[in-house]
Amino acid sequence: MTHLQTSDRFAQNVREALADANLQAALRGARGNFIAKRAKAAALVPEFDAIRDAARDMKNATLADLDLWLEHYERKVTEAGGVVHWAESAEDARAIVLDICRKAGARTVNKGKTMISEECGINDWLERNGIRPVETDLGEYIIQLRGETPSHIIAPAVHVTVPQVREEFRKAHADLPPDRDLEGLDTLLTEARRVLRRKYFEAEVGITGANMLIAETGQSVIVTNEGNGDLSQSLPRVHIVLASIEKVVPTLEDASTVLRLLARSATGQEMSVYTTFSSGPRRRDDPDGPEEYHVVLLDNGRSNMVGGPFQDMLRCIRCGACMNHCPVYQTIGGHAYGWVYPGPMGAVLTPALTGIEKSRDLPNASTFCGRCEEVCPMRIPLPGMMRHWRAQEFERRLTPGAVRWGLGAWTWLAERPRLYRAATRAAALALRAMARGGRLRRLPLGRGWTAHRDFPAPEGDTFMARYARGERPPARQAAAPPPRAQAQDGARP
Amino acid sequence: MSARDRILSRIRRATAQGRDEAERREAVRARLAAAGRQTAPTPAGARTPPEARLAQFEDKLRAVDATVSHVPRLADLPAALAHELRARNLPPSLRMGEEPAFAALDWTGLEVSRGPGRLEEPAALSRAWFGVAETGTLALLSGPDNPVTLTFLAETHFVALRRADILPGLDELWAALRASGRDARTVNLVTGPSRSADIGQVLQLGAHGPVALHVFVIDD
Repeated sequence: MTHLQTSDRFAQNVREALADANLQAALRGARGNFIAKRAKAAALVPEFDAIRDAARDMKNATLADLDLWLEHYERKVTEAGGVVHWAESAEDARAIVLDICRKAGARTVNKGKTMISEECGINDWLERNGIRPVETDLGEYIIQLRGETPSHIIAPAVHVTVPQVREEFRKAHADLPPDRDLEGLDTLLTEARRVLRRKYFEAEVGITGANMLIAETGQSVIVTNEGNGDLSQSLPRVHIVLASIEKVVPTLEDASTVLRLLARSATGQEMSVYTTFSSGPRRRDDPDGPEEYHVVLLDNGRSNMVGGPFQDMLRCIRCGACMNHCPVYQTIGGHAYGWVYPGPMGAVLTPALTGIEKSRDLPNASTFCGRCEEVCPMRIPLPGMMRHWRAQEFERRLTPGAVRWGLGAWTWLAERPRLYRAATRAAALALRAMARGGRLRRLPLGRGWTAHRDFPAPEGDTFMARYARGERPPARQAAAPPPRAQAQDGARP
Repeated sequence: MSARDRILSRIRRATAQGRDEAERREAVRARLAAAGRQTAPTPAGARTPPEARLAQFEDKLRAVDATVSHVPRLADLPAALAHELRARNLPPSLRMGEEPAFAALDWTGLEVSRGPGRLEEPAALSRAWFGVAETGTLALLSGPDNPVTLTFLAETHFVALRRADILPGLDELWAALRASGRDARTVNLVTGPSRSADIGQVLQLGAHGPVALHVFVIDD
C-alpha cells in the first residue's frame, strides 16, 4: 500500500478513528503496555540517562560532518563488494529498486520491515511493474493482506484485533482447509510461519531497511525479533538495503551506544532477539547469503533539514517510544496522522519531508504534555519543534482565519493585565453559573470539546483572584505557614 | 551533477559553515582512528568482573527464554546433544556447517548432515564465537563453518560456546571481532529464540526463526 497523504484532512481522520470500534478496542488493548516495559528496562540501567546524553552528542557530531561520514561509509561498502546508490527522492529510490529487481529477473521480492520502503511506496511500484512484494514481518504481513499501511513504526498492526487477523488468514490462505481450527493465537502464528517459510525460498530479491549504517566497517544493521529480516536477506540472490542518509554512525562502539537505548526504549527488551551486521555479498566460500549487496541511500528532503531548526529530528532511531507515550496517539492511532510516520516524531518529521501546507494540523495535535521528549532516547526536543512548526504555520498564514482572529483577540486582551483578569474572572463566574453538577455539557464556542466530553466547571474564581485574597493550598505536615500576599489584585503598576 | 554529488553538496553547504574542509577531514580521521575506544558511559551490567560473568550470562539467557547446560569438554558435546534431542522428543538428526571443531567429534548415533539451512530444519547446531554477559547475547559469524541460514531456519537451535569466550559487554565484543581478523558477511547477535507480539499484542515464541534456543557452555 502506498501512503496517499491525508494529513491535510486530519480532523476528519480523527473523527473516523474515534468512531471505529475495532480500532478503539485494539488501542485500549495496547495502552500502557509499552510504557511499563520501557520504564522497567530503563530503571535497570542507572547510566541510562547518561547514555542518552552521549548518544545525542555522538549523533550531533556525526551530523556536523555527515557528508564526510557518508563518503567514508560508501568507500567501505564498495571495498566489501557492495554497491551504493544515491536517491534524492522517493521516485529515484523506486527507479533504482525496480532496476535492480529487473536485472535480477525478480518475480517475487521478500521484504523485511522498512519504513523507508513505506516512505517511497516501493510495494505499489513493484506490483505495478509486475513484481510481487511479500512482507514477511508478521505485523506487516497482516496489514499487507488487509491492504493497509502500518499504524506504528515498530508495531505496524497494533490497530488490528485478533478476530480481524483470523478473518484475514481465512481469506488469504484459501488453499488450507476452511474448517481448520484458528482459535488460539499459537495456531495463527504457526499458520503464518508455515505460509511465509515457503515464500522465503521463492524470492529472487530481499529488501530490508537499516537501523544503522556503520561508517567504520561499511556494515548495515538490522534489529528484529522475528528473524524475518535475516531470512529475507540471506535466502534470495540479491539483497537491497533501503536506508536514509542520517542512519550513519561512525564506529561499532557508537552502535553499542545506540543499541543500549534502542530496544529498551522500544519494547523494554535489553536487546532485541536478532541484531545483524551485514557487509557486502556472500564471501567466496560461503554456502549461503546473497550474491549481490546494494544499499540505496535516500535523501528525500533530509539534507535540507541539516543545519536548520529541525536537524535534531535526524537523531531519531525510530524506537516508537514517543508515540507509545503520547495521549493523542493512544487515542487516535497511527493512521489518522495521514502519512508514514505517526505520533510526535511524525508530527515533526512529516511537515519537514512533505511540507507544512499539507500537514499543518499534525504539530497542533499535541497536548504538549512533554512525555515524548521525556522518554526520547536521543533527547529530541519534540514539543519545542512542534511549537516551531506552529510558529511557521502562523507566519506563513496557513492558520485558518478564525484561529488567527481568536489568537489576535487573545493577544490584545493578554497584553492588558487588568482587563484580562477581569475578563477571565467574569468568564469563570459565568461558566460556574452555567454548570450542572460541576460539569458543563455545552460550552459557547467550545463544541469541539463538549461534543465528546463534558467540560469541568471552574470552582468559582480565578487563581489570581484567590491568591490575592490570601488563599493557599491546605498546609502539609510540618510545612511553614504561607506568606501573606505581597500585592493585591490590580494594585500593581 | 549526479544525485550523489547534489546530496553531498547540499549537506556540505549546510554543515561546513566556514569550517575548514581539511580540519573537518582530520576530525573524521581522528574519530575513526579512535575506533575501539568507547567514549560513552557503559552500563555497570557491561562491566561484570570475570568471576561473576558466567552466572550473569546464564541469568540473562534464561530471562530471554533460552535454555543452557554445561558440557565439560568439547568431546562430550555429541552425547549432550543426543540427550537434549531425546529430552525434546526430536529425531536424532542434526544439521550443521563445516566447523572444524565439530567435524573432529565422534557423532556416532546421530544422523549429521552439513550445509546451509533447508525448508524444514528441525534441529541445527552452530558455534558462537563469543557470548556477551551484558545481555545474554551470542555472536555468530557467517561462513562455511557456520551457514547463516541455520541460525534462522532451525526450529530448535543449539549453539556451542566456549566458556572462555564469554565477554563482559558489547564493546569487548567489537574488540575481539577486530582482533579475530575474520571478515564475515554477517555478524549475527542472537539474544533468545525468535518472537513476535504482532497478533493481539501477545508475545509468542517462534515467529519465523527458532522456537527454542539452547546454549551448551563448553567449560574446558
